[in-house]
Amino acid sequence: MSRRMLLFADIDEPGLATRAVYERRGGYEQLRRALTMEPEKVLAEIEGSGLRGRGGAGFQTGRKISFLPKGEIRKYLVCNADESEPGTFKDRELMQKCPHMLIEGLAIAAYAAGIEEAFIYIRGEYVLQADVLDAALAEAKQAGYIGEKVLGCDYSLSLVVHRGAGAYICGEETGLLDSLEGKRGNPRLKPPFPAIQGLYQGPTLINNVETLSTVPSILKLGSEDYAKLGTETSKGTKLVSISGHVQRPGNYEVELGMPSREIIYGLAGGPPEGRKVKCWFPGGSSAPVLTGDDLDIPYDFDSLAKAGSMLGSGAIIVVDDATPILDVALKVAKFYRHESCGKCTPCREGTNWTVKMLERIQQGEATPIDLEIIASVCTGIIGNCLCVLGDAMAMPIGSIIAKFRPELEASIEQARTQREAELSGSIASEYALAAQGAPIGGVPQPAGAYPPASESPLLAATATMLAEPPSSTAEAS
Amino acid sequence: MSATPERTPSTGSGWDDAADVTKGPAEIPDPQSVEMPQALRAEIEGHMRLYPDPTSAALPALAAAQRLHGWCSPEAIEQVACVMQVTPASLAAVATFYDMLETSPVGRHSVYVCTNISCSLRGADELFEDFVKAAGDDPEFNVRTFECLGACDIAPMASVDGVYVGPLERSDVQPLLDDVRAGRAVLPEKQLARRLVADPEANSQQFPEHPVQNAVPVQMIEAPQGEQR
Amino acid sequence: MPRTQTRTITFTIDGREVQAPENAMLVDAAKLGDVEIPVFCYEPKLGGPVGACRMCLVEIEGIPKLQTGCSTPVKDGMVVHTQTERVQAAQRGVVEFLLVNHPLDCPVCDKGGECPLQDIAFGWGGGVSRHIEPKRHFVKPLRLSSEIAIDRERCILCYRCVRFSQDVSEDHQLVLLERGAHSYVATFDGHPYEAPFSGNIVELCPVGALTALPYRFKARPWDIEDAGTVCTLCPSQCNVTLTVRDEKVLRVLARDNHEVDDGWLCNRGRFARREIHSRKRVTEPLIRDGGSLRPVPWERALEEAAGLLRRAGSHSAAVIGGQSTNEEAFLLARTMREGLGSPHVDSRPAGTLPLALHRGLGDPALQASTSDLEHADVVLVLDCEPIRDMPILDLRVRKGVRHKGVKLAVASDAQGALDRKADLSMRFAPGMGAVFAQALAAALAELRGHGSSAPGGESGIDADVDRLAGQAGADARSVRDLAQLLTGAGKDLGGVDSEVAILWGERLTVGEQGAAGAAALLEIARSLGLAEIDGAGLLEVPSGSNARGLREVGALPNAGPGLSDPAPLSAATNGGGSPEGLDVNGIGKALAEGELSAVHLLHCDPLSELGERETWERALSRAGVIAHASVLSESLAEHADVVFPAESHAEKEGTVVHPDGRIQRLRPAIARQGQTRAEWLVIAEIALQLGLDLGVANGPMATAQLVQEIPFYAGLTLEEIGGRGVRWQERPAASAFPASEGSR
Repeated sequence: MSRRMLLFADIDEPGLATRAVYERRGGYEQLRRALTMEPEKVLAEIEGSGLRGRGGAGFQTGRKISFLPKGEIRKYLVCNADESEPGTFKDRELMQKCPHMLIEGLAIAAYAAGIEEAFIYIRGEYVLQADVLDAALAEAKQAGYIGEKVLGCDYSLSLVVHRGAGAYICGEETGLLDSLEGKRGNPRLKPPFPAIQGLYQGPTLINNVETLSTVPSILKLGSEDYAKLGTETSKGTKLVSISGHVQRPGNYEVELGMPSREIIYGLAGGPPEGRKVKCWFPGGSSAPVLTGDDLDIPYDFDSLAKAGSMLGSGAIIVVDDATPILDVALKVAKFYRHESCGKCTPCREGTNWTVKMLERIQQGEATPIDLEIIASVCTGIIGNCLCVLGDAMAMPIGSIIAKFRPELEASIEQARTQREAELSGSIASEYALAAQGAPIGGVPQPAGAYPPASESPLLAATATMLAEPPSSTAEAS
Repeated sequence: MSATPERTPSTGSGWDDAADVTKGPAEIPDPQSVEMPQALRAEIEGHMRLYPDPTSAALPALAAAQRLHGWCSPEAIEQVACVMQVTPASLAAVATFYDMLETSPVGRHSVYVCTNISCSLRGADELFEDFVKAAGDDPEFNVRTFECLGACDIAPMASVDGVYVGPLERSDVQPLLDDVRAGRAVLPEKQLARRLVADPEANSQQFPEHPVQNAVPVQMIEAPQGEQR
Repeated sequence: MPRTQTRTITFTIDGREVQAPENAMLVDAAKLGDVEIPVFCYEPKLGGPVGACRMCLVEIEGIPKLQTGCSTPVKDGMVVHTQTERVQAAQRGVVEFLLVNHPLDCPVCDKGGECPLQDIAFGWGGGVSRHIEPKRHFVKPLRLSSEIAIDRERCILCYRCVRFSQDVSEDHQLVLLERGAHSYVATFDGHPYEAPFSGNIVELCPVGALTALPYRFKARPWDIEDAGTVCTLCPSQCNVTLTVRDEKVLRVLARDNHEVDDGWLCNRGRFARREIHSRKRVTEPLIRDGGSLRPVPWERALEEAAGLLRRAGSHSAAVIGGQSTNEEAFLLARTMREGLGSPHVDSRPAGTLPLALHRGLGDPALQASTSDLEHADVVLVLDCEPIRDMPILDLRVRKGVRHKGVKLAVASDAQGALDRKADLSMRFAPGMGAVFAQALAAALAELRGHGSSAPGGESGIDADVDRLAGQAGADARSVRDLAQLLTGAGKDLGGVDSEVAILWGERLTVGEQGAAGAAALLEIARSLGLAEIDGAGLLEVPSGSNARGLREVGALPNAGPGLSDPAPLSAATNGGGSPEGLDVNGIGKALAEGELSAVHLLHCDPLSELGERETWERALSRAGVIAHASVLSESLAEHADVVFPAESHAEKEGTVVHPDGRIQRLRPAIARQGQTRAEWLVIAEIALQLGLDLGVANGPMATAQLVQEIPFYAGLTLEEIGGRGVRWQERPAASAFPASEGSR
């Protein structure tokens, strides 16, 4: 049974990034058609498709457009191409290989929303993709798809490709707006929501690359047919980026609602031979982790939400059973600490503190009580921050603690025992050297102040302890 | 190896530094008093014209200054401030916020090694250590860890002067650095630009010959099936 | 722009029904029900809420997530909880987070005892910390500017200081660098944060991260007393609280008065301690003896001064400096007129203006208030530089432009700080403000009267604008654009006239063209209908701090108290001479030429403050000179015959008048330094020796006396003035202001 390809159909056709090939395959026809329709009709098509945002939040795209104030106001459309959620790389593929599809979809959405100024905010690391977009935009302008009087009708649209400079928080829509305004990418207080007061204080529509790229397909199929794809509440196809411990990492286009197992094992080949899925992030590293027991959950917005996680950006990260969960937790926590903008207290301090506590576990300086503290710090973050970045750390870490507590407790114990052994070892060796007259802690000792190690009762006891290696130091990885 | 290196704050002053009260306040630079490379001025002014509010040009302007100066030095920031007619402090605030804007001197070839989760699961941390060993002391290189670069399909990977390469093995480190030193394309066979999409059903037809048509002319390669860690 | 009216709504907080203005932020509305919601980053003076510290989380029924009280506008029927376990847990959490890196070095912190972090940690914190990791450590304290130290360990990153720099003073020098937990407050490349208002960040800081170097380790909150008064170092007359310990002013804090300073204070006012306790201050009376000044007992100095004046008789003069109080000026003017028969009293460095123009410019209907600057449709800054001449107004103009959409026009003779903010900014040649005003008046007439005629037509007025603009060194087209802006801004509001506030510098009325400039200004006001429109008007930026008060109490050569016609002088002392005296320039000249022989300088150093330096040099060396001075200038040291120590504003008692007509009260905060005596008393004692009993035995009596003499102050008492002052234009007695013929 073959899967339906809307976005990825022949995506690798040579020259698809050029207007000539894109047009030969029917590109920009939907924009032409849309421009002959009333904007309201175009909006109705998008609304009717049931398309939900592909960036992470999964909000209905049509409704989002309808929130914008009507009338002669300066409004903006910003395409969020700051794809930074760990594990996500689908927009990259679309922009690099089929940039005109994005431009066409963006122009249709802008027309439907009555917007005449648009921006694509692309993360600065995507150098190739931004170059491709710039080249495609130049072609689109030349052909009259973008600019004054689009295709000769009474509608104008400007478009600027704006390159970011490396900050995850700029994927958050209000952080993105501040960044686009030339400031630090700090999220803004909401309300007011961008639809009312966004870029340059004007009403602003913000959509993800995949969302906008889907728009031409919706017009082509008709909203009714598009809505037949997927599930009742998660319509259409979705690009899934799958990575980590799978044999065939990459992007796949699936109908929403496909069983997760089929994606992880069927498409991506599952973990390497002999390994099992220990846990997986279904929607980027911000999503609470699911375990190997959760593989039969249908991959759609609501099923994942019901399972206590989220579809997010559609990025599955698979972790196999050979990986210590502590390493995963620390990796995730450090990422969010690094990316926290620092504006609000719980996120700035909470991510930092969580990392410090997890590091303490690794260094053997923690007890199981620290897991309680980490969990309660995560609770103190969730729902209490200015934006969702804090939650994006607290939710996966919280889920890891909840689901892998015994392993974490074992790690605590193991690291602690190892640390104690190291400490006694270093004390023993320092004493041994001191016996030969070496300074202790930098303070020179008089010769003969310390007896040789063999004669010290304290060191004898230490040596006895060291002779019995703790049982729980078996290698975990 | 930490994925979040402690960035040394700079652009002249760090958190342990006092203000030098013998200096004047850093106000909006007077165009008469700042020596200004004309090409940079033209580029920044070009960016400023693109936006309803020219302040939006801060990131592209700083990036342009960084290309010229190698990093966002105080001098570079002053030049941008001079063209944009804003205070250098407001630009320093921006420059220090973003990972790609360097606020202390770095080597001119950047090697961003992704050490986020997907790459790290596939050995990125060891890879980074190898890069540090091989080029960490080379003043020509800026080897650093980076958060998810959005290419987990080629994990572990690196962005070398903006070119994505992967999946990298530890044996790739030396050839990669050699390519950079020699001014060649880095590991052409491992460049992301040349990979077909992983989804086997995406392409209904085979594209055996790939005429030079895309913006970036490349020989396409298929994603290897069944990669191992 | 009309100021918004708000209706009152009822909401419930912690089970209590509370009335509050609709859309007030919850943290403010809660106070009306005696509920305190803790905040760190919230400070309405800085603009809209940012919701960064998350300290003010509260539960609102019907909203699943906790909400920040600082950013939630209160609505009718809203039900709010601040004491539920959920809210308390969140608040404890935020306090714990804030203390993760705070050093808790309260025993050695200047903020200790008056620290919001201490108070909130005590009131809302959990009491224990579970954080056992090492805290971050930075070198501290570090100098941030010549006056301010920064302790980055203590900083809780509330953003207040950087928001001040960006959104209030708009100097954009202080920023946050780096990101996340590494963020820190800093300047660019180690430059100091030197800006006229930088000191406000010390007061804004809710922890001990920003401290004023002069106050570090000087006192604890329980060692000090606070005294409210008014800073008279410039015409801004900001309301201040002086922190006093052992009769010393240790620091100066802003005392928020929306109608005066909006809660800000410039660095000169804030660090006035240096001036108040300067070692150079004159603290005892001096007389010239054998060529140099030497200290003498009070009686000797008073006798000497009275002797000088008695000998000069009606050939005496008084020049009253801008820092003098109403009472001092009033009493000295009386002494001159009644005791010596001399009409030669002036307080206007700009020289005289016809009385009718004084009355026209002072017309209560024409006066804009300070807060009008932020609500007007258009503000015109004309021939002044607020940041230099009256700094606090610079912030007010910026606030209006930034938050209220005020259109700003600047017309001045040099580039200024507000040019960047202005919708329209233009130059005229130095000193040509008066001519520029005439050009603008002509342009307005052209627009109003001949609006339909084609530009460049044959009407004489068109040429007039060109000629006058040319003469002023201004661009005629800009002048016409300005006229357009002033008349047109309100048009989109349905044809009503714009509320225009004109901030004009006293120097517009200087010199030969001065009277013409003043007349042109009145013509502009008439043409724009400023007298008829609420919220529109003129606001003068004078050169002297209390310039307005001094004129109103009669420190003018051509007016008595209340801008009355000058009373005839008694024949006995003056031989029936003219009741009109010489202005400052005339006094200088007459002294230099020997026509006058003594001058009483009340807080005025002619050589540095008045024009015609050479004339004044000759004048001072020739005449008998009595001076009240806090610090001896070189010229006074050389020329004064008697010097009385002057009080600082921290010691003074009396009243002053803000340029917008607000009468404000100075209250002594510390004992007078050294042997300094109240200056009104010194004047009264001199008068007594001259045979004139002024009838004042204490400060309030002097105030009462001048109130009685000024019809438009009638009935005013010190109690009514109180701590916030009162604008006399807003009292019924204002109708007694003498109309100037033809002005209405």
